[in-house]
Amino acid sequence: MGHGGDLRFQVENLTRVEGEGSLHLRVRDGVVEEARLEIFEAPRYFEALVVGRTPDEVIDIVARICGICPVAYQMSAVHAFEDLFGATVHPQVRALRRLLYCAEWIESHALHIYLLHAPDFLGYPSAVELARDHRDLVTDGLRLKKIGNHLLSVLGGRPIHPVSVRVGGFSRLPDRAELSGLRADLEEALRLSQATVELVNGLAAPAFEREPRLVALRHRSEYPLNDGRIVSTDGVNLRASDWGEAFHEVQVPWSNALQARAADGLPYLLGPSARVVLATDQLHPLAKAALARTGALASIRRNPYRSIVARAIELVHVTAEAIDIVDAYEKPDAPAVAVTPRPGVAAWATEAPRGLLFHRYVVGDDGKVAAATIVPPTSQNQAAIEADLATFAPAVLDLPMADATHRLEQLIRSYDPCISCATHFLDLSVERTP
Amino acid sequence: MTARAPDLRILVCGTADRGDDGAALAAIAHVLPELPEALRGRIEIRRCQQLDVTDLVDVGAGESVVVVDTVVGVEPGSVVTVRLDDLARHPAGVAPRSSHALSVEDALHLAEAVRGGLPVGTFVGIGGKWFGYGERFSRAVKSNLPAFGAAIRRSIEDLLAVSL
Repeated sequence: MGHGGDLRFQVENLTRVEGEGSLHLRVRDGVVEEARLEIFEAPRYFEALVVGRTPDEVIDIVARICGICPVAYQMSAVHAFEDLFGATVHPQVRALRRLLYCAEWIESHALHIYLLHAPDFLGYPSAVELARDHRDLVTDGLRLKKIGNHLLSVLGGRPIHPVSVRVGGFSRLPDRAELSGLRADLEEALRLSQATVELVNGLAAPAFEREPRLVALRHRSEYPLNDGRIVSTDGVNLRASDWGEAFHEVQVPWSNALQARAADGLPYLLGPSARVVLATDQLHPLAKAALARTGALASIRRNPYRSIVARAIELVHVTAEAIDIVDAYEKPDAPAVAVTPRPGVAAWATEAPRGLLFHRYVVGDDGKVAAATIVPPTSQNQAAIEADLATFAPAVLDLPMADATHRLEQLIRSYDPCISCATHFLDLSVERTP
Repeated sequence: MTARAPDLRILVCGTADRGDDGAALAAIAHVLPELPEALRGRIEIRRCQQLDVTDLVDVGAGESVVVVDTVVGVEPGSVVTVRLDDLARHPAGVAPRSSHALSVEDALHLAEAVRGGLPVGTFVGIGGKWFGYGERFSRAVKSNLPAFGAAIRRSIEDLLAVSL
């Protein structure tokens, strides 16, 4: 496929990309003039839906934003409210929240690695075709996902959209025996996760390197999940509640999701690669050992296709940490501490599987939410995805159209936008101008 | 003593606190006590809220399955019974709006690929009208719960080759 003159890549219906969207590339004389991740799904208005609601209602409402990472939405909200209300939860409650988050990361990362991303590397159009030839591989992925969902059920009452989180703690705490009963599953998950690292580290990734600005939470003593300061590879270091001091949202004509930019107007990247790079030293020793065996840290930082390795490293981390939490669990006397709402601004960020998730709520004198801002990771990554598409596209313009399209879709899936699986079903149209 | 493996697995989908979404749970609660005890011993019941690939993959060799759920796309209260392989081969062409779960078609195909074949079984559904938190059954669903239960019983009879 030559690329003289104008070329237009138009990939319609990028469904399941935290909304529905498409890919649009315009190329002139081999130079990408425009790369747009067009998200055209109608706005969902969650920020308006929570207005007039109490904090506990908000926690359940925002969980509905995502079926893969509802815990992330609950955690950013509950921490924000507790920070404003001056509530300090029991240390075991805090640990259980990390365990709940571990469960979500297990099911989310397993889903993406095995069912959404692995088919790209192994040359299959979807997980269904992959399963016909690699049944054991897909079975391992499904098993990991199921263990994560089961852990979510035990802690949250449901495998999807858990209902147990409340301001001050939980509505119900598991008994020690309930958690101990999960240990065998988690040990199996740890073994599968370690094998996953070996598997994905051996997958050949397209050659593409750049030096992105990476952003993640960093805690003084633990791998970032619920808590930490916002840091970046170029020196950002601020409280999680102060996200707006270094970043801002912008509206672009081609997306119904707001994009986010750093203060200088440039994009930044969130997610597993950012966390592994920015918090390498805080990985669980087993995850750290797995990372060392891969020798992949540099490529994780620079090659977006290697995010699959970062995701697998994090699988090891969360399964190992989950075992540690289960082993150390002692049920507190009360599931929650008493909380007295007060007016003000509640703001917090936690690490969703796909990256930093920022919430900000204005709480009125009546104890109800008067305004809300929710900045999900996929929105924040949009601009970085577009920048990477523009940088990478020239390298594939000489490939046959199907191959070029596949490489571009695979790149989008590297960021694990919520809609990746549907990108397997894209139709690509090309418009050439002689 | 080794317990005998069940001959039939019933996967009960839905949640009780979301209006018509709890219809499968209600129907099963009525159907089970009416079954002869010996027959109940041949059946394993699993709640699965939202049908997942692993729910189908886990079905044992030689074990058949009935999936019971509330559905949309048909008249509220109407009862549909479809063989699983027909559902896989002739999907309705309607994919879930949510990006957060595989469509039934995808789940069936993935389970088929992993298991090397779909389990023998049927899907029994009742059309739902509303699914909001804390809502009760719609009139259409409530009045047709007996028909829903009867369809489930018929599937049990067919798959276990018994007459109730």
